[in-house]
Amino acid sequence: MTKILYTDKLDNCVERWRSAGLSVIGPVRNANITAYRPVGSAADLELSQILPDRSIKELFFPQTEPMMRYSIKKDAINTEECLPPVGPRIIFGARPCDASGLAIDDPLFGWDYKDEYWFNRRNETVIVSIACTKSDEFCMCTSLKLSPDSTKGSDVLLRPLESGKGWQVEELTDRGREAFKAIAELLTEGAEAAAPTAVVAEKFDADACSEWLRNPENFESRFWKEISVRCIGCGSCTYLCPTCHCFDIQDEGDTFTGIRRKNWDSCSFALFTMHTSGHNPRSTQSARWRQRIMHKFNYFPGKFSANSCSGCGRCTRQCPVDMGITETLQEISKLSQ
Amino acid sequence: MTENIHSAPQNIYKPAIMKIVARHDEAPGVRTMRLEFQDPAEHEQFKETFRTGMFGLYGIYGEGESTFCVASPETRKEYIECTFRQSGRVTSALASADVGDLVTFRGPYGNRFPIEDFYGKNLLFIAGGIALPPTRSVIWSCLDQREKFGKVTIVYGARTVADLVYKHELEEWQKRDDVDLVLAVDPGGESPDWKHRVGFVPTVLEEAAPSAENCVAVLCGPPIMIKFTLNSLKKLGFEESNVYTTLENRMKCGLGKCGRCNVGSVYVCKEGPVFTAAEVALMPQADL
Repeated sequence: MTKILYTDKLDNCVERWRSAGLSVIGPVRNANITAYRPVGSAADLELSQILPDRSIKELFFPQTEPMMRYSIKKDAINTEECLPPVGPRIIFGARPCDASGLAIDDPLFGWDYKDEYWFNRRNETVIVSIACTKSDEFCMCTSLKLSPDSTKGSDVLLRPLESGKGWQVEELTDRGREAFKAIAELLTEGAEAAAPTAVVAEKFDADACSEWLRNPENFESRFWKEISVRCIGCGSCTYLCPTCHCFDIQDEGDTFTGIRRKNWDSCSFALFTMHTSGHNPRSTQSARWRQRIMHKFNYFPGKFSANSCSGCGRCTRQCPVDMGITETLQEISKLSQ
Repeated sequence: MTENIHSAPQNIYKPAIMKIVARHDEAPGVRTMRLEFQDPAEHEQFKETFRTGMFGLYGIYGEGESTFCVASPETRKEYIECTFRQSGRVTSALASADVGDLVTFRGPYGNRFPIEDFYGKNLLFIAGGIALPPTRSVIWSCLDQREKFGKVTIVYGARTVADLVYKHELEEWQKRDDVDLVLAVDPGGESPDWKHRVGFVPTVLEEAAPSAENCVAVLCGPPIMIKFTLNSLKKLGFEESNVYTTLENRMKCGLGKCGRCNVGSVYVCKEGPVFTAAEVALMPQADL
């Protein structure tokens, strides 16, 4: 017997959570884009899409966010911190790859210096993931030691029932158990079978790729130029990525008052590493693509023991020139044989 | 490489407010500012953490932040000195700030020159142009406890006579009999009354030929100068592990998060900016 949440109770759940003071967030389709957005009722949720077009990261690391407001008077500068006004919230219907992405980035935002903008949001958010029963040719979680029902980063994992009428409930953390206490009476004990999880074919051998990347001889391989020749440096892949974390700090305002902001940035952009002198360590698009791949599958795992990729496939799915991590790693897999 | 000690439980992006208490024009477009903390607690924290080689992010609200070294030594922590060339938006704003004005500072960040390891050794400092400031922090940190070190040699070159920074301190070092100062300007950069050498730093260094015996070299300069000077040091018999240098990559956070300063797997902001030549040699050279 397992706990079952039936779809027809979902609306009540949303209500209960809201009246318990949680804001409810989930995949919402609007203007042809599905993204994690606040929901008023279960009817707002779009749970049938393979995965939302936009990743979950923007709920923890927004595209742009004020870090502080400043005001300057004759003899004083006043800095007012703008810590995120989160409040407890629950994300219902996250995909396991998105939830994993958050767990992958935690050590980065926490090594030595703790980024409150990230952790304040992490600490106040319950993540309820739904295992995938559908996938497409871009999904690659299984190539990254994850799966359509990975629990990494989730507080609760729901497995869709074979009947399609609800989900088996697997509570994973105290935070998850706490949130599901509020809806305890809406759950049913049952033995209904879960639908089989999606079949995601392995597309490359990530370990072999990492090993190839670690070999210094391959750093200046011609491969990098060939594989990235189509890249237009638009940065879409980095913005859609649930684990890409690079940012810029910019001021908006004038000499007297304004805002200091943290904005998404991208290693695909030429100006990203440009020195004041004009020297640019990553002066070509191929050097920048190499950095992106190296960072995700060599440098990051070297520091934080996990690839900086959860296999969602958005980078490839939405690339305007049909490039992406999958193709690059498939080619590297071949080279490393 | 040494551990980072700075990990106070506070907003890591919030800068300290500093007052400009003095400023000095070093060379055309190059200015030194002396800054004092306004908050005693922040000053205390700086005193506890700052060691020579560490850097900071200096800023003006409304314009942004810019990364440069702390140019003052770890033996003088009552203030922070920084020297910068006016070249972009932030440095232009800093250059137009006057004595009494307030600016922002985040830091000190990064690792340091392990000067305790230099005790009892001869020191060779080599700097080119605007890279004297990071070297100067180490130089004074050592000269302020002069008895702990052997022979001190400073080789400093700039493009022209006007471009030499810290001219008053160069004079002071010139007069000291416990410091051997070799000054040079690039060919064509000399003035009619220039009494020192004319030539590029690597050549001048090879002519001066300091002994590598029991000697540590600290080398700071533009990438091209570093490259050729390393060759010269090799000729003089210096081991790569006895040559220290700093990398100065573009940074936004200084905290190992914003993702732009890495060379290969090395985060310059956290594992640097101070590296031995042996460590630099292990990095992917195309990414330097």
